[in-house]
Amino acid sequence: MKRYVSRRVGYCLLSLFLLSVTIFFFVRVTGDPATLLVEPGASEADIAAMHHQFGLDKPLWVQYGLFIASLAHGDLGKSFYYRTPVMELYLSRLPNSLYLAAVAMTFSLIIGIPSGVLASVRVGRFWDRAGKMFTLLGLSLPPFWVGLVLILVFSVYLGWLPSSGAGTPLHLIMPAFALGWYFAAAHMRLTRSSMLEVLGSEYVKLARLKGLPQVLVIAKHAFKNALIPVLTLAGINLVIMVNVATVVEVVFAWPGIGRLLYEGITFRDFPVVQGVVLMGGAMIVIVNLVVDILYAVIDPRIRLES
Amino acid sequence: MNSAIKRRESHANRSGLTRRDVLTLSATGVLATATTLAPLRVLAAAPQGQLTWGIHVSLAPTWFDPAETPGLITPFMVLYALHDAMVKPMPGQPFAPSLAESVSASEDGLGYEFVLRKEATFHNGDPVTAEDVKFSFERYRGASHDVMKARVAAIETPDQLHVNFKLKTPWPDFLTFYGSATGAGWIVPKKYVEKVGDDGFKKAPIGAGPYRFVSFTPGVELVFEAFEGYWRKTPSVKRLVFKVIPEEATRLAALKHGEVDIAYSIRGELAEELQRTPGLTLKPVDSPATFWISFVDQWDPKSLWHDARVRKAAGLAIDRKSINQALTLGFSKLTGNPVVCNVFDFFWQPPEPAYDPAQARKLLAEAGHPNGFDGGEYYCDSSYSNLGEAVLNNLGEVGIQMKLRPVERAAFLKEWGEKKFKNIVMGGSGAFGNAATRLAAFIVKGGPYVYGSYPDIDDLFEKQAVELDHGKRDAILQKIQQLVQERTVAAPIWQLAFINGVGPRVGESGFGLIPTFAYTGPYEDITLKGS
Repeated sequence: MKRYVSRRVGYCLLSLFLLSVTIFFFVRVTGDPATLLVEPGASEADIAAMHHQFGLDKPLWVQYGLFIASLAHGDLGKSFYYRTPVMELYLSRLPNSLYLAAVAMTFSLIIGIPSGVLASVRVGRFWDRAGKMFTLLGLSLPPFWVGLVLILVFSVYLGWLPSSGAGTPLHLIMPAFALGWYFAAAHMRLTRSSMLEVLGSEYVKLARLKGLPQVLVIAKHAFKNALIPVLTLAGINLVIMVNVATVVEVVFAWPGIGRLLYEGITFRDFPVVQGVVLMGGAMIVIVNLVVDILYAVIDPRIRLES
Repeated sequence: MNSAIKRRESHANRSGLTRRDVLTLSATGVLATATTLAPLRVLAAAPQGQLTWGIHVSLAPTWFDPAETPGLITPFMVLYALHDAMVKPMPGQPFAPSLAESVSASEDGLGYEFVLRKEATFHNGDPVTAEDVKFSFERYRGASHDVMKARVAAIETPDQLHVNFKLKTPWPDFLTFYGSATGAGWIVPKKYVEKVGDDGFKKAPIGAGPYRFVSFTPGVELVFEAFEGYWRKTPSVKRLVFKVIPEEATRLAALKHGEVDIAYSIRGELAEELQRTPGLTLKPVDSPATFWISFVDQWDPKSLWHDARVRKAAGLAIDRKSINQALTLGFSKLTGNPVVCNVFDFFWQPPEPAYDPAQARKLLAEAGHPNGFDGGEYYCDSSYSNLGEAVLNNLGEVGIQMKLRPVERAAFLKEWGEKKFKNIVMGGSGAFGNAATRLAAFIVKGGPYVYGSYPDIDDLFEKQAVELDHGKRDAILQKIQQLVQERTVAAPIWQLAFINGVGPRVGESGFGLIPTFAYTGPYEDITLKGS
């Protein structure tokens, strides 16, 4: 078990290292941030001064070394645009993203799971077809478009909900729906296929043969087993949701880390982009590590095979 | 501009001031103070209520510090609230005495004397003194700081209320740079900045403006509260909240829903929607941003753009009125001057730009292209690719086929400055200044975006740079602009209107009060309805 865990940890560290190298160099390919921080036509001296201020005049490998050294101390650097430590910016916005993701995930599970169960027991009929349409739309419609339509209907025409920002539970409803619909569709599909697999298994057939009511067969015997992969996916999706809500956060002016990333990209704020991407990557890597370890704990075959 | 303003402006710019001119300037400051300050102070009620803005850009803490002001208009959105300047553009006055109650220039153009207002204080109660003025200039490191530091020999502070700037050589544009184009003339409290440091100042800025800083959530919201001790007048609105809403449609929705009272930058179809909505007012503002097409290959004899007839044809092909109507609802100005804003000093008014595709085709035929030609690439800032596309279509209609190359803003500015573009570049500039500063950047030899120049134009420009007589300098700069137009060095598109929305709670929004200032101001003049 120790070898298994230490190998997994090693892979995680390797993944994070590769991610840090990739994001460090790729963000610099986008161009020179100094051109956005000085006035058009600024002198070479002004631009050079800006480069010196941000450490951009050093060789790339030196910049990377300094970046990794400060990362080891939990320092993600200082934002070029906001002149504030990136960690401070990140931690101030993270709770908002977590809050949004939690509500969006709740919505996606409340919609996705029951509709998936219903579709699996009514295969080929109305609820199944309705579920497929729901899935198709959820996976196809771009979240920014969904967000704008929601704002138009519920904020502008009906006046029921605030259009943007944060502060009250009402501010959460539309962005959570826009973000959660895609994942609801994914959960619905997985629930349906998982339920169909379980409903076709021998022990469920036996339960039916014994004369148990259909409701009991589904709720007590099939549902719990079908739920395992769905909840596993939901756990991973929660972390992904926190980090991919960029477009939704921009449309709704939600003050989360997705919007912070958007601002970092817009202003070529290298430390912000590096910091947000690395933190997001770290979250996903850690969640996957925990899941891998839990799998190994639950099922010894996994750690023995590996 | 009316003649009274021109006279005051020319007095402010001209170095050869007579004693009568100095008294006039001082009287202007005294009059302004007497007429605005005394009666309003007696009648001024306590500030009340709150107004909320939907801002289109992310607010940066560097904008709280005048020392780091880049040569863009956007930081002045914050500066006008939080800080005050020695002289600054105000309603009806391009260089209104503000913290300085008077300014006078020496006969030889080597000195400018400012007299501070006794009643001006910072938000912490400290008076604004000559030491603060000197300190603010010396710590300035924003746009054109190298130009300013190179030209200013010394700053003398004979007493707490007098500041004398001594120049190394006569510089007719000193007030243009000090009073509008840079943040050097915006004053911060020396004692406080030295106590908290630059970073501390950005976290908790103190200024002498009509509003004091309350709180800032980076990228989200900025809050100000009225400073009742402001010298000019007590602001009417107690609290100002700037909310960052990057998405334009969301900004309009917030305005419609009443979550914001003023929304910046609403364009195209959304501006039409704003216009149709009862209770909302569309407020277009003249910005100083001119747009033009630059023929960067015209100095290459092998290039098709070398022929002036081809360049003229391109200029005649642009249907500016239709583009203006489609993209900015007709509010942009078609001045015909490619690079100089129409309210800038030394502006030359060309003839109205013509749209004549038939004449354009005729010129192309005369130049040997009866069936048109492949003009190559049309580079533009991707933020304005809709404008680029419209112009491109017009060029195509007369036979000039081009490929649109929108480039992300930072890359566009960099490559434009590094002379990497070919054929046509759609240029634009919203920087403050005057005709000379614009020509220096885009037309005259040595400018950061100049791919080539004409020796006679360069000679004229050198001549005006040392001309102290305002009238003579005006004549030279107007001649330069005429030559630019005659040779079609650049073809004008428009002077962009900045379209904004105002909600029903707003009395005086502040839009359009300060000429060419795209945002609301002065903030102390903004009111709620019914107040």
